[in-house]
Amino acid sequence: MALRLTVNGVQHSLDVEGDTPLLWVIRDELGLKGTKFGCGAGLCGACTVHLNGQPVRSCSTPVEMAAGGQVQTIEGLGGGDQLHALQQAWIEQGVPQCGYCQSGQIMSAAHLLASNPAPSRDDIVAAMTGNLCRCGTYSRILAAVESVAAGSSNSQEV
Amino acid sequence: MAMKRRDFLKVSVGASGGLVVSLALPGCAGIQTGYQPETGEWRPDAWLELTPNDEVFFTLARVEMGQGTYTGLTTLIAEELEIKPERITPRFAPVAPEYRNPLYKLQLTGGSTSVATSWEPLRMAGAEARLMLVMAAARVWNLEAAECHASEGRVLHPNGIDSMAYGKLVELAAKEVVRGDIALKPREQWKYIGKQQGRLDARAKSTGTAVYGIDVELPDMVYGVIARSPRHGGRVAGFNGDEVRAMTGVLEVFETERGVAVVADKYWRARKAQEALNVGWDFSEALSVSTDDVFESYRTAADEDPGESERSEGSFERAVEGAERVLEAEYVQPYLAHATLEPMNATAWYRGDRMEVWAPTQAPDLGRIAVARVTDLGPDDVTINTTFLGGGFGRRLTQDYIEEAAAVAYRLRRPVKVIWSREEDTRHDLYRPAMLHRMRASLSGGELTGWHHQIVGPQILDWYVRNAAPAQYPWAPRFMYDTLGKVGLMAEGIATPKDMSAIEGGIEYPYQVDNIDIRHTHTDPGVPVTWWRSVGYSHNGFAVETFMDELAHESGEDPYQFRRRLVSSEPRHLEVLDRAAHLANWTAPAPQGRARGIALFRSFGTYVAQVVEAGIENGAIRVYKVACAVDCGQVVNPRIVEDQIEGGILFGLTAALYGEITLESGRVQQSNFHDYQLMRQYERPDVLVAIVDSTEAPTGVGEPGVPPVIPALGNALFALTGKRQRSLPLTADA
Ligand code: FES
Ligand code: FES
Repeated sequence: MALRLTVNGVQHSLDVEGDTPLLWVIRDELGLKGTKFGCGAGLCGACTVHLNGQPVRSCSTPVEMAAGGQVQTIEGLGGGDQLHALQQAWIEQGVPQCGYCQSGQIMSAAHLLASNPAPSRDDIVAAMTGNLCRCGTYSRILAAVESVAAGSSNSQEV
Repeated sequence: MAMKRRDFLKVSVGASGGLVVSLALPGCAGIQTGYQPETGEWRPDAWLELTPNDEVFFTLARVEMGQGTYTGLTTLIAEELEIKPERITPRFAPVAPEYRNPLYKLQLTGGSTSVATSWEPLRMAGAEARLMLVMAAARVWNLEAAECHASEGRVLHPNGIDSMAYGKLVELAAKEVVRGDIALKPREQWKYIGKQQGRLDARAKSTGTAVYGIDVELPDMVYGVIARSPRHGGRVAGFNGDEVRAMTGVLEVFETERGVAVVADKYWRARKAQEALNVGWDFSEALSVSTDDVFESYRTAADEDPGESERSEGSFERAVEGAERVLEAEYVQPYLAHATLEPMNATAWYRGDRMEVWAPTQAPDLGRIAVARVTDLGPDDVTINTTFLGGGFGRRLTQDYIEEAAAVAYRLRRPVKVIWSREEDTRHDLYRPAMLHRMRASLSGGELTGWHHQIVGPQILDWYVRNAAPAQYPWAPRFMYDTLGKVGLMAEGIATPKDMSAIEGGIEYPYQVDNIDIRHTHTDPGVPVTWWRSVGYSHNGFAVETFMDELAHESGEDPYQFRRRLVSSEPRHLEVLDRAAHLANWTAPAPQGRARGIALFRSFGTYVAQVVEAGIENGAIRVYKVACAVDCGQVVNPRIVEDQIEGGILFGLTAALYGEITLESGRVQQSNFHDYQLMRQYERPDVLVAIVDSTEAPTGVGEPGVPPVIPALGNALFALTGKRQRSLPLTADA
């Protein structure tokens, strides 16, 4: 089945079975490996990408459901060589341990801030609860998101 | 410990014309170093390479799985080399004797040993290179080396004006000869050790560019999945191969040692084909136990066999005879899965006479053995490329996933990536052993007079020898591997001369008591087991520190003061205990509806005390705060220490709240994160970590955060509810 998909601003025409999860299309057809496979069942959030501006679990999104849509992955989050403010904060806070969950964490956080630039701590926790981290980096994640959220003392630096 | 530099440093000129410092760890005298005298060439297994282009490469012999070796070990080199850690490019080590962990005689990362074993040698390598660069510059300027010094990647002229970048000096420096021993910088002059804050891999891991095993991409690569026996040890009796082979994209369907492999051009096609696959299993030799049987067998073993004595002081029996009270308790702890977020996977490429493997592994030289076992290749025909690891926690010390991928690649003769699903990763793990502990203690006149601890369960090395021993004897033919495993291990000793996995943390019982009897009853129900973050300490910690709490309660003493009194002659224990209690405001009452529990435990040479503040909310256990004090000797990177301790605490709490793998007639019941849950962001407690300022040699931090938090939480729940829970995971309605 041929379908169209725009990923990080680039249009692709793909010949894949429609039930293939978006995750494997992004990773193996398009070679964007930043999006990770953790559970394949919508339980861990490692595969989080934005589809038409909404965060989705790409492991549980058949590619046909994304057909014609706009997908953004961790690779397309910043502008070209520019890092997204969250990525900058992640580096400054030294968030990642093994790092495997972090693309998904950052994508969830990016959607939160795009829809709610000044989230409360409870808002952040609620938005980030679908993303598992086996290494236990939750407090650094929280600090990094808070440092970027509008109204925080650091936000003007980025 | 003063090390003679000539014992383990070798310097040579690299192929690039640069300076190469190789290093052989103590105990490996006489092995080959990076320099090939015949050809004058450099083999890329040197530790440190400086190029004329001013690049600095450092070979990382301990894998990076989140625990921070990438940053920590690089910092050690940077400190003595006088260059910012960020200027050094770490690269993952290939398999070579130089990179073996001197404690294990194997190239593996585990046991919280990376910093401890690298502490001296890596600083020494950095210092030697720096000294040679300074000598070369001094020669150019016609000065004495002592008049020049190095800073930030340059050698500085005493005139304060001139300087030369390392890159300009490396060719000259390679010809310098350092005589005598090298003095390492005194602590007061450190710029990065103890101060380095960031993580060198943070950028790659925040931009999606860090390459994990699962991300490896090769030309014409295909994808394999394997249908494994739902019961360990089951064999393939038959399968509908023709039907599955006819499916779109399917290239091969065939039997392997562990099940039926399905290979397709795309991963999803392989998965769909696997769904259509019907395998008949022969379970005649398969595991058939259920979890209840396991614990019953442990109880029977414990009754029949008092176990091997592991520590004996005074006479426990006499202490009991004269005791006013004798307390007994039995603690039960389940099997636990590792649940690394990156599932098991490996990519292999067989090209006739060689096999190349890309994998997230904690033990690359054992990966070579795994390949040799399922092919006609010898270990030397196998190259293992280590990637970043999406978590390890001990799981990736066992090389089954490499073995499988190699078997598939051997048949396909093209690059194959084998990926496990989460369900497969959970069900075909090797688990933290289920364990049973029987404790007895005698009390007289308010004093603890006797301590008896019977540890019941398997030993991990029994499961590991088959993998590990041949790596020490690469000359051995394959048929010998099993025997060698057993015999060789005895002779040489791999992890330690003795398998400590069941008893560690039990036998180091630190409290003052005259009569001690600690035993291990060895019994193995046949469920595959392996190391799991903090290993034996994980279950002994729960048993010892919960029972100590019971004894404090029985004596009518505050559990902090009770412990305090009994470790009064152990200054490092005492200090972390006091600091944790202070940090948690122990003496002030806990807020309404909450209670606190305390635990003190030393593991991997690191002293940790924790106070947990917990409550029960809406029928669920809620952990609000964990106050932790840690003494891990000299700190290399304080942020990483905090992160590792906090990560360990969350790992331990996950086990305490949710961790349980159960078996039903040999089948593992759990499969994915809905029934093998991990702690989530909304459950995160506030964690406070106080690090003791110490000049002692550094000890590990990856694991020691785990053990005490489990009993500390249980003890808090006891303080809250008055009910003692003696089995894990803990529940809110006990
Ligand atoms: S891989 Fe998609 S949610 Fe876990
Ligand atoms: S950093 Fe390892 S899973 Fe989150």
